[in-house]
Amino acid sequence: MRILLIEDEQKVSALVKRGLIAERYAVDITADGLEGLEFAETYPYDLIILDLMLPRVSGTEVLQRVRRKNTFVPVLILTARDSIDDKVKLFELGADDYLTKPFAFAELLMRVKALLRRGPVNRSSTLRIGDLELDRLTQQVKRGGKRVELTAKEYALLEYLMQNAERVLSRNMIIEHVWDQSFDGITNIVDVYVRHLRAKVDDGNIFKMIRTVRGTGYMIRGVNES
Amino acid sequence: MNRNSLRARVTAFYVGMLALALLFFSVAVYAGARAYLTRSMERSLSNTARTVVADYLVPLDKQGQAWFLAEMSESYPPGIADPFVRVSQGGKVLYQSGDIRDPLLRVTTLPLPADPLNLSSFHRATDAAGQPMMMYTMGYRPPSGALILVETGASMEPLTHLLYSLLKILLIATPAILLISAVGGYLLMARPLRPVVELTEQAEHVGLTHMGKRLPIIPSGDELERLSLALNRMIERMEEALAHNQRFSADASHELRTPLTIIRGELEALLQIPDLTPPAMDGISSALEEGDRMSRIVNSLMTISRLDGGGERMEMLPIDLTNILQVTLEHMGLMAEEKEIALECQITAPVFVTGDAMRLKQVIVNLVDNAIKYTPNGGRITVRLLAENERAALTVADTGIGISPESLPHVFERFYRADRARTRESGGTGLGLAIVKAICGAHDGTLFIESEEGKSTTLRIELPLLNLSPRQVADLQHSAAQTVRVQPTPMASEDPAEEFSQTKM
Repeated sequence: MRILLIEDEQKVSALVKRGLIAERYAVDITADGLEGLEFAETYPYDLIILDLMLPRVSGTEVLQRVRRKNTFVPVLILTARDSIDDKVKLFELGADDYLTKPFAFAELLMRVKALLRRGPVNRSSTLRIGDLELDRLTQQVKRGGKRVELTAKEYALLEYLMQNAERVLSRNMIIEHVWDQSFDGITNIVDVYVRHLRAKVDDGNIFKMIRTVRGTGYMIRGVNES
Repeated sequence: MNRNSLRARVTAFYVGMLALALLFFSVAVYAGARAYLTRSMERSLSNTARTVVADYLVPLDKQGQAWFLAEMSESYPPGIADPFVRVSQGGKVLYQSGDIRDPLLRVTTLPLPADPLNLSSFHRATDAAGQPMMMYTMGYRPPSGALILVETGASMEPLTHLLYSLLKILLIATPAILLISAVGGYLLMARPLRPVVELTEQAEHVGLTHMGKRLPIIPSGDELERLSLALNRMIERMEEALAHNQRFSADASHELRTPLTIIRGELEALLQIPDLTPPAMDGISSALEEGDRMSRIVNSLMTISRLDGGGERMEMLPIDLTNILQVTLEHMGLMAEEKEIALECQITAPVFVTGDAMRLKQVIVNLVDNAIKYTPNGGRITVRLLAENERAALTVADTGIGISPESLPHVFERFYRADRARTRESGGTGLGLAIVKAICGAHDGTLFIESEEGKSTTLRIELPLLNLSPRQVADLQHSAAQTVRVQPTPMASEDPAEEFSQTKM
């Protein structure tokens, strides 16, 4: 998978590139809108990550001109602007997703993967990690064969964690998926719910599946990977 | 009527001036009339006396006593003559016209003038009945014989009567004139003041919703026009200052985002290094946590400056606030439970407002989060929502640590912290209530706070109530049941379980 990163802030592009290469993507970097356009027209990229504040040709214009030639390549926008108006405009111009700075790399990676996930998605009705089992049809959760009773919110939280097993999820990502943006300002709602979920899922088991990654967020992992 | 109003003051001033002028005028008229009447009376008295001397006393020696008496009684018949006349010589009365019937005057017994030196003079006297009168005494010395005194006199009664009538007229007319001119003037003053009233009403609206509008210019070419121009220039300057302030917060938070991204990314990369020592892990994690907080502050600042500047696009739709409240409280129930706080919700009937559901939800979240944060374990939080006086009133009352009276006026300011140590510990941004206030302002709402230190805090939000017909309510509830999610998250969600989390919550 080949990704084009158009970002004029060198430190940001270096970071993103490092992270994406670690995930085995091929990454091209350019710091300039015009050059970015040339790149985008020359090579068949699977994804373009585009910053909006660019020298010479602005990100919005790059987006427009890319879309005129290539309707299919997914474009992920990195922006420091986050008003709804800006976002709506970007989607109208053909952006597929956007990420507001500052972002956690984990979140960028998730969005990149989501955009590259062409074709059938794993939609199996049962999620399984180690001895933990979640059935999406009956909305039942079992650990080691024993039924775990969860509230609706706890279920949604666990499902989101399990869907992204082995991956760190920031509090922000969890809030946006399980709650909504109105809860952004609250610091500890995620922590409180994770604590309760943990009490139900991990208590009484030797292996604790729900991990806290300090400064970043939470992840769930199975016993065999540790 | 306000006694200090410009209109009342101007009216009072000129009524005062008018009263002064009228008083001066009345005094002048009265004094003038009095002087004129007195002088004409004196002239008539002295003329009569002179006539008596010239016509009857001078020829007395020639014509004799009998002729004199006959002539006198013909010219000044007794009982009728006005003025009354008395002629005497050396204490002996030669002739007198006697008492007058109309106006009644008893002068027969009037003592003769004692001091003959006081000649050709007017003096006041009273008759036997005590009527005031004016007397004139004139001396005539015939070539032969002793000094003859001629006295003329008349009652003062007609004069005083006349003056009294005049006084009465003046006393009645002056206040009447003043009253009429006061009322008329007060009414008249409304006309030149009307543009000022309009100007004031317009000025009241400036800044309530947004500056944008300018005041109407009063094309009078005088102070009023200058006032309206000056006010407009002032609004312009305020607008500039405000815009500058907002642009600054927006720019600053905008500029902070890229460095924050880099800091965050570098720290995340550092954490990936294998075999980090625990102190290093701890330090990096802690830095990441603070970076997270900084991001929240930057985001909140951005939100506030957009809300304040009116640049935030909001989806203003008719919504049932009770719905939002219930859902939000359900989401936050666990947080209250953690601290064994009783979170009570008092709702009686649906309360409709026009607003952005996401933003109003944020208000509730922030208020309840604050209440939970500042209420000790085992406390109680009561959330009440009701419609009263055309307002939707939401109150969040806690039994928390309260706010000191000196901090109370500042709690809605950005970054104000009543208790620095405590809030830092809980990792807040110091912007929660400022956001609430900004959202409230964007909804034409008002925000009140009441607190008793160490006992309780009550926050109250009032929004304009939306009155809906039962049919509209039914429509709204129908559509609400179909679209639960107010705002789609950018990330495409295809999972049925996510829908589950949206609908069941």
